[in-house]
Amino acid sequence: MNKQISTILKSVSKPGRYSGGEYGQIIKDKSKVKARFAFCFPDTYEIGMSNLGVRILYGVLNKEEDVWCERVYDPWIDMQEKMREHGLPLCACESGDPISEFDMIGFTLQYEMSYTNVLNMLELAGLPLYAKDRDDSMPIIIGGGPCAYNAEPVADFFDLFNIGEGEEMLPELCRLYIKMKDEGRYTKQAYLHEAARTIEGIYVPSFYDVTYNDDGTINAYTPIYDDIPKQVKKRIMTDMDKAYFPDKVVMPYIETVHDRVMLEVYRGCIRGCRFCQAGMIYRPVREKTPEVLNEQAKCLYQATGYDEISLTSLSISDYTQLEELTDMLLEWTNDNMVSLSLPSLRVDSFTKELMDKIATVRSSSLTFAPEAGTQRLRDVINKNVKEDDLLRAVNVAFEAGKNTVKLYFMSGLPTETYEDLKGIADLASHVIDAYYQCPTRNKGKKPQVTISVSCFIPKPFTPFQWEAQDTMEMLAEKQEYLGSQITDRKIRYTHHDARVSRIEAVLARGDRRLAPALALACKEGFAFDAWDECFDYDKWLSVLERCGIDPAFYANRAFGLDEVLPWDIIDCGVSKEFFLRERAKAYGERTTPNCREQCSGCGANKMGGERTCCPKAKN
Amino acid sequence: MLPESQKLIEKKRLKSLPELERPLTVRLKFRKIGSLQYISHLDLQRTFNRVIVRACLPVWYTKGFNPHAKLVFSTPLSVGAQSVCEYLDIRIDREMSCEEIKERLNGELTNELFITDAYIPKNDFSEIAWASYDMEIYTDGADDEMAKNAQALLTSSPLMLVKRTKSGEKEVDIIPMISSVSVSFDDERQTLKIKCVLSASSTEYLNPEMLITALKQNLGVMSGDPALEWYTIMRTDLMKKDMSEFK
Repeated sequence: MNKQISTILKSVSKPGRYSGGEYGQIIKDKSKVKARFAFCFPDTYEIGMSNLGVRILYGVLNKEEDVWCERVYDPWIDMQEKMREHGLPLCACESGDPISEFDMIGFTLQYEMSYTNVLNMLELAGLPLYAKDRDDSMPIIIGGGPCAYNAEPVADFFDLFNIGEGEEMLPELCRLYIKMKDEGRYTKQAYLHEAARTIEGIYVPSFYDVTYNDDGTINAYTPIYDDIPKQVKKRIMTDMDKAYFPDKVVMPYIETVHDRVMLEVYRGCIRGCRFCQAGMIYRPVREKTPEVLNEQAKCLYQATGYDEISLTSLSISDYTQLEELTDMLLEWTNDNMVSLSLPSLRVDSFTKELMDKIATVRSSSLTFAPEAGTQRLRDVINKNVKEDDLLRAVNVAFEAGKNTVKLYFMSGLPTETYEDLKGIADLASHVIDAYYQCPTRNKGKKPQVTISVSCFIPKPFTPFQWEAQDTMEMLAEKQEYLGSQITDRKIRYTHHDARVSRIEAVLARGDRRLAPALALACKEGFAFDAWDECFDYDKWLSVLERCGIDPAFYANRAFGLDEVLPWDIIDCGVSKEFFLRERAKAYGERTTPNCREQCSGCGANKMGGERTCCPKAKN
Repeated sequence: MLPESQKLIEKKRLKSLPELERPLTVRLKFRKIGSLQYISHLDLQRTFNRVIVRACLPVWYTKGFNPHAKLVFSTPLSVGAQSVCEYLDIRIDREMSCEEIKERLNGELTNELFITDAYIPKNDFSEIAWASYDMEIYTDGADDEMAKNAQALLTSSPLMLVKRTKSGEKEVDIIPMISSVSVSFDDERQTLKIKCVLSASSTEYLNPEMLITALKQNLGVMSGDPALEWYTIMRTDLMKKDMSEFK
């Protein structure tokens, strides 16, 4: 290790995040690779190292012999100060080389509040922020992940985006790059054009001109070439059993957020909650078979030595073969002192049998997400959970001796009234009552119900994408009202910072005109806006104002149903007609059956897929 | 696409190894150098827990509510210091040679965290009294004169420094905790080199970093351009009270 970095590391917090040298990292001979790829996670090491998508794509890229993919994370504030003081640029974990020397830099965009970190990292790397200012000698900057479905606010900073699942797209991009370099016909412009033309799922924002109407809404997106798609269609892996699976994992020495085996059971979600973006953009549902999962779990256990396996997916209890899978796993996990955990459990599926199998029960607290306080509002959002389901689920927990329950709700949902907010408090009281009515409860302990209330954020590609977010005043009043309805000290009430949610709404539904504001934010040192201690609302308002941007235009305005949306340039597989139908049903307080009960014709079956629940999935 | 879960099968094979009458303690001597110097003691413990699983060692698990492998480490090393003489005791409940244990572990480790020896221990960790260190400092103004001054500083009592303890901060004289020290100037590398033996018992422990602090405070060492100056600390040996080898 470089002596200079070595000395810096003696003076920063948690130096283990920067020292590298992990077991399982992939080292290649620089002189033998043709494309060097810096995979950036725009947040801290601890968060980035826990991301399953990064693990998969790191493996996928390094499978290509002449490609070397390395990891990069955003250094914490104290480290950034030291780097600036010493004139050190942002470097990759494996080689310690500056990422500005790489061929390609990929950013995974997991949440909107990490956008400032993306720019912060480009700046630390010493690269120009705007794509148009980077010449042929500089790396190609690629974006992907859920926020790429509407990455318009950061579109001017990226050369291209991957829309959808990247397991095939990223290697294809590298192969094309190497081919054009080998043939001596590489220029950035030629490369981007060829990628947009020949690789499905590639969106090159600079190839689409955007015009605006007088009222500030979008008039049209026009491709500048005839041979590129008018709308970019997302890519998916059709057969999850055959999708690349990382059998080797880079093992962090320091503690990370998810320090456990993460076993991806299926992609997509059958539920269709109307506020949920993940439930829409990852459609169609594609399952892995229990046999494959069991083998993969064994393999990961041996490759990592973790003592916990977490079954991950959007709603694990909706996996059709959960029973078979958990039985197979328990056959060997118990003997090896490995515990299972099942996050994302729905109340309507929480049974004693299931609880007995999992480790979540070892911790004293259980978490459920009813999302809304009354049946009416739960029908509006299509949560399809009844109060009885919740009470039955908490009873199972109480009977087993648990005494604490955590409940997640959202405030500011479309059509919400104060009656619905009161419903949240009532529901919490009913859970307390249920505790005292449970004959086999843990009599020595008092019940504790925590209700955590976040703010509704209208997200692209959901039936609620057109909705206006409540104003700050409305959200604050609602939070206060709910607080006043809770008198029982056995109920703990916490709520999200509405100011963060508002900025998130601006970025989520923003368009390209936000770019100057983000560039200014970067110039003024914004970073780690997803962290409470770093987020500064007043500074955000100031930056937006100086760039002539009214946050209410993006957050608090109901978008017109016939308006051209910034994300209309992307085809996420689910049709706009479906979102409109779902929106109408929401206002009619009518629910939609889940995909397994009945197909509601969202259009995702056109994407194909093995082991989907879509009746007409094309193969 | 699916690699056969070879090692899990091997795990089953472990069950065919003869059981020991009572758990046997095996001592591992390992080095912790390079990037690994920034890994804290707690993180090192967790790392070894996983490494032992990966290596398929027949470790003995505690029989309690939350079974875990019993790992006992020798004198902790502070973050930012390297070492070639760290020790870890593990307990096994089935027969396996020390050599095989070492090989298996090293298959799951890197060059910077590496087992150099495995054996049945002779001494108890509580017998550790001294640790020797090699340090190197690259600083503005390093010369023979500075080395002489440093030598004088580190050998004349009292040398009062603020020491952080569990009960708060207090000023202590560190000289009694220095058994021997020699400072020299390396003309070729333009660095100060310090060889020293410091207290390392559980009741009296002198962090080698304190010597650097003393030089900074009293001789203005490392007060130049932070982008150029650096220092390294390497623990080279652990010894018993009479300076004999710890085994």
